[in-house]
Parts: sequence; C-alpha cells; structure tokens
Amino acid sequence: MSWVLLAYRLPREPSTPRSALWRRLRRLGAVQVLDGLAALPLDARNREQLEWLADEVVEAGGEATIWVAELGSAAQERELAAGIAEAVAADYRALIEEMVAARDQPPGQRRRTLARLRRELRRIRARDHFPPAERELAQRALDELASVVEERVA
Amino acid sequence: MRWATRRHCHIDRTACAWLIRRFIDVQAEFVFVDDVDEVPADATPFDMRGVELSHHGGDCSFETFLRRYELADPVLWELAKIVHEADLADERYDAPEAPGLDVLMRGLSMVRDDDELLALSAPLFDGLYEYRKRALLTGKEPS
Repeated sequence: MSWVLLAYRLPREPSTPRSALWRRLRRLGAVQVLDGLAALPLDARNREQLEWLADEVVEAGGEATIWVAELGSAAQERELAAGIAEAVAADYRALIEEMVAARDQPPGQRRRTLARLRRELRRIRARDHFPPAERELAQRALDELASVVEERVA
Repeated sequence: MRWATRRHCHIDRTACAWLIRRFIDVQAEFVFVDDVDEVPADATPFDMRGVELSHHGGDCSFETFLRRYELADPVLWELAKIVHEADLADERYDAPEAPGLDVLMRGLSMVRDDDELLALSAPLFDGLYEYRKRALLTGKEPS
C-alpha cells in the first residue's frame, strides 16, 4: 500500500502554529514517523488534508513537502499499521469504559453523557484508518447505553 | 470569466462554484484540472495549493472567497461555517449540518461527474442559503 507523508519544519516560536498542526494531525489520525514527518495511508482525502497542512506550515514561516511513498518491507508496514491500530484501539477502550460507567448515572446526566460519547466516537472513527476489533465493541457499548437511556423514557 | 479547480470536486469546491455563479460572476465557466500547472492562462484558479483563492490561515477556500471579495453578507458566513466543518471538521465552528452535507456530497460525487455535481448541488446551496437567511431574520429555526 502507499502512504502520503508530510515532511515539515516549523520555527520553535511562536508555538501556536506548532500546536495547531499537532492537533490537526492527531484529528486526521496521522502517525508521527519522526519529528517533522507525519504519515497517513494514501487516499484522495488524506492527501488533500495533508496538502492544506503543508500550505499552512509554509504560511507560518516553515518548510513543508508532500511525499507519496511505500515502505521498504511488508514487515515494517505491518508494524506501522499495527501501531496506528493500537493507538486508536486504546482510544476506543477508554471510550468503552466511559460508556459502561455511564449506565449507572442518573437519567438526565446519562442522556447528556450519551450525546457527548456519540460525538467522541465519531471523532475516533474519523481518524481510524485500520479498524481494530474495538471499533465494533465501542459501537455495541454505545448501543447498549442508548437503550438504557431510552428505556427510562418509555 | 473562466475559473479552474481540481477535478473530483467535494464540498468546498462545489460551494465555491455556487458562490462564484451567484455572487461574483453570473457567466462563470468552470474548468477541471489535475494539477495547478494545467490551469489555462485565462482561468482563475481556486481551491488549489499555492493559489490565492484557496486555504489560508486555517480558512477553507469558501471563507477565503468571502474575505477576498469582501462579501459581508452574514448569511454567507453562516454557510461558510457549515462548508468549513464539512471540509475540515476541525471543530472551529459548531455546524451540526456539516457531517450530513459531507456525506451527501461525497456520495453524489461517486455517481456524477464534476459538471453534474455543480449543477445538482447549486439548488442545495440555494436552499441552505434561504434556510439560514430565514433563521437569521426571524431569530429561530424556520419551520
């Protein structure tokens, strides 16, 4: 498979563009291969999003280039994909814990928690490029929480 | 006037094309290219890397158009929030319409070419504009 890479260098100061870039990369689910090198599986959307970030790095006084690349070996690729999947899996697991804990909340609070966790699940899915088993488990935990919330209404 | 943008349009480019035809250039003709190097000499490029009418300072191209053409219409800025979130989803704005619009436009782009996509999405943006306008005028969600 192919990857799209953003190689960048940003001035240390001001730090705002650095942290904005970091947040955007995290939201996209990019993996930080090295300091100043972020990678995403190649598709039109991921490529476009990294290109916009490259432009913003340049506008902030830095340097950025976009590369399309393949890993040198299948083993390295498995390792990279597994690392990405594990990071997202950990996010799903943390969310599942919250979903289970929310079942015991008072009804009003539980409903608000459900809405918040739904949004959070959507955010994680948006950065999930190698869906682990936890994706399905998180959906199930959310459905269960939703049915607990609905029962109280009925 | 001729305007050029990248092939396989999505939300930001379809919204910009609509904005151009409605507010900037009624006679606008659109050309779709693969690379900024292919933009015809007589065409104005938009939503492409390194051009003026594109993403700047965290803004999507639609927002850049509003700034560059000084379109101060508050309804257009309401639309800009939706387009921004559908395009970038960076939660700069609260735009609950955005995820739905993103999916609709993505799906439409799978079954229609760029010219058809622009033709089909224009009435959608007309409607969105009208809805947001009524909401702004009455101070509540239109029925």
